[in-house]
Amino acid sequence: MERRNFIKQLGTASTLSILGGLTLPSFIGKKQRHITILHTNDTHSHIEAFGPNHPRNANKGGVAKRATLIEQIRKENKNTLLLDAGDIFQGTPYFNYFGGELEFKLMSMLKYDVATIGNHDFDNSIEGLYKQLPNAKFDFVSANYDFKNTVLDTHVKPYKIIIKDGIKIGIFGLGVELAGLVSKKMYKETDYLNPVEITQDITSTLKDEEKCDLIICLSHLGYYYKNNPDKISDLNLAKITRNIDLIIGGHTHTFLPKPTIVKNVDGKNILVNQVGAYGINLGRIDFYFDEQNNKTATGATILV
Amino acid sequence: MKLSYFLFCLLALISCKKTEKQLTKITAKNIAIDSIILPSSIIDSMVAPYKEKLSADMQQVLCYSSKKIDKNDGDMQSSLGNLMADMCFEMANPIFKQKTNESVDFVLLNYGGIRASIPAGEITKEHAFKLMPFENELVIANLTGEKVSALIDYFIQNKKAHPLSKNIELRLLEKGYNLKINGEVFNKNNTYNVLTSDYLQGGGDKMDFFKEPKKLIKLEYKIRDAIIDYLKKTDTFQPVIDNRVMIK
Repeated sequence: MERRNFIKQLGTASTLSILGGLTLPSFIGKKQRHITILHTNDTHSHIEAFGPNHPRNANKGGVAKRATLIEQIRKENKNTLLLDAGDIFQGTPYFNYFGGELEFKLMSMLKYDVATIGNHDFDNSIEGLYKQLPNAKFDFVSANYDFKNTVLDTHVKPYKIIIKDGIKIGIFGLGVELAGLVSKKMYKETDYLNPVEITQDITSTLKDEEKCDLIICLSHLGYYYKNNPDKISDLNLAKITRNIDLIIGGHTHTFLPKPTIVKNVDGKNILVNQVGAYGINLGRIDFYFDEQNNKTATGATILV
Repeated sequence: MKLSYFLFCLLALISCKKTEKQLTKITAKNIAIDSIILPSSIIDSMVAPYKEKLSADMQQVLCYSSKKIDKNDGDMQSSLGNLMADMCFEMANPIFKQKTNESVDFVLLNYGGIRASIPAGEITKEHAFKLMPFENELVIANLTGEKVSALIDYFIQNKKAHPLSKNIELRLLEKGYNLKINGEVFNKNNTYNVLTSDYLQGGGDKMDFFKEPKKLIKLEYKIRDAIIDYLKKTDTFQPVIDNRVMIK
């Protein structure tokens, strides 16, 4: 009985594929789509490359070199997004003298798409950040900072959806708890919401309502806290949530030699990455999509 | 026959709808931005006018250092931490005195707030910016003896060379400690004026003993400006490891 059913099903399927091929030619040329995600974090106003005599980072970094690299990759794949995981401000006199104006102008020239907000982005107070927004031709996302009672109200969205080559990409932001890290007079009435609960809500919105093909979390929570392992971090968030494909992190200045593969709550492999600090490295994640008649349960092959 | 035709159409329809984009492969890597990559001239020319404005000011030599000053050259203290705490004391105490007629008893800053070392030789304004890139301001918290004792407990348990000023003489014993402040034995019944940053006073680095002080005086004087002012009036400095923290 079972065997008969199986043959029947097989028969139907093969007929269908032949006829389908004849009558619906548009479904044959199944194209492969390719999305490239580039990312930085904790660039900390490092506009210029490190000098030749720097003990650890001689000649590394520099926005002008980052621009060349990004340009090359965009030529390779025009479906490229450029993201930043926060702490754009503070670290060189460029910030102290010009308040972040040059950082945002350069990021706009490099065509950043989306960034999230790090604790140091409040260093000239929330007004200081607000004042520089006209220089940023890219969007800020943060889902767990409630800016309702601040000047940033309506200027920062919880998430942004970008469609590239028919692939719908949902990008949401998460920030680190500000109390104890930034003085209250700087962040004012910014409310910190529980990042785990927010992530559960946002990812189900992005997956089930918005039907995103790719979900990216831009996080300034920090990679992992060895001395405080229960503190919420990118690795912990990855393990206890679902539907995220990639977490791009910051805050802990973690120089990962390569992105980390983590199993999420459903046992699916996802990626967590962070590229240290000061614009010394650029993260590059390439996602390849194939068109298939039915979604299979097997996940994607990840090569790191 | 009719039924199978109907089923076929239905299946065809479903299969059309179900042609989905499926993520099949991901490749990921981190690329070093090093000297092999040529800088973009468009970006360089954008940065140039800003750089010009900056560097003229930043390259001013303010004073000299006889040796490299580091934050990792001692046990629970460091030559750089000592220098920072002492610089803040020296610059802030006269302002505080003028404001309140009282004196600062001692300084506590945080180890993590020292962001760069100071090389031997010419010290420029740029070094001051690297040492203290943050915009933190100096504040004086008037603390009860109980809170000062919580401060010392924090210092001991934290096991980091958090900068303390020369006013302190802390001897760590196998059990407990001896503490003198400005040469006098610490008295739990006294209150003390502790100079620190607004960041730490606000709960930064979990220095909770700074919260709700008996009095809080804000100097509206940035730590970096205090350092720059100190460097301007100093010719050569000779930072030291001394008796402010002694470990038995």
